[in-house]
Amino acid sequence: MAASASSTKVSTNSTASDFCRWHAVASWTWDAQDETCGICRMAFDGCCPDCKLPGDDCPLIWGSCNHAFHLHCILKWVNSQTPQAHCPMCRREWQFKG
Amino acid sequence: MVDFARVQKELQECNRDFGVSGIKVIPKSEANLTQLLGTIPGPLGTPYEGGTFNIDINLPDGYPFEPPKMKFATKVWHPNISSQSGAICLDILKDQWSPALTLKTALLSVQALLSAPEPDDPQDAVVAQQYLREYQTYVGTARYWTEAFAKASSLNVEEKVQKLVEMGFPEALVRSALESVGGDENLALEKLCSG
Repeated sequence: MAASASSTKVSTNSTASDFCRWHAVASWTWDAQDETCGICRMAFDGCCPDCKLPGDDCPLIWGSCNHAFHLHCILKWVNSQTPQAHCPMCRREWQFKG
Repeated sequence: MVDFARVQKELQECNRDFGVSGIKVIPKSEANLTQLLGTIPGPLGTPYEGGTFNIDINLPDGYPFEPPKMKFATKVWHPNISSQSGAICLDILKDQWSPALTLKTALLSVQALLSAPEPDDPQDAVVAQQYLREYQTYVGTARYWTEAFAKASSLNVEEKVQKLVEMGFPEALVRSALESVGGDENLALEKLCSG
């Protein structure tokens, strides 16, 4: 997850060091190459169809081929494939990136 | 449980590029998103050119972790498609399915299959033999079937319109209903009855 923060100076006093109020805003986004999960087609910054809240409760996971999916989505796929699951995007053998 | 959010998204995305791809997917009824009708144009430069092929799509409970069930509703003469049942022999609809594929990409693969028959892995042995032994006869038969079954020739459409108008539906509604279901008379009737 990549996080960024920005601040807004609210006081307009004469010297730059003279803050009297500080308003911090933080945002986060998953640092994946794609914007949507190739399995459920929902945004990575959203969550899989089974979850309500994005973020740590519905994490992304990478394969050794570097393709990312919602953990819950890829687990459903891996569990439905025996004996060996392949990456839905590139068909290489699916291994969780260590 | 079918992931209906994804199906809705797929339908919107697929129908948005209809102008470019000529590929359409519509629900057979608004109430049930597991029974769909796909439409593909016959590829240019093949005996299927000029035809519009309807494909019955049935989404299994596990979709998109299981492949959609597809079969031709339009009769077609092709080594990898049953001339009797419309069953399609295509690996991505079986063991080569991936949840990253969509209804649209699957229909594109079916369209590609029309351009590139695989007679050594037949679904219809009679067609495959003809393809291998008397290629020109195969081309002729395939072209004739396209003409006879895959073209909503103007005469046919007018007959259907008249039949439905005689049942008491306004002509403009009948035409738009027929168009939206790819010319299938029964589906158009269902649509008209459901309002």
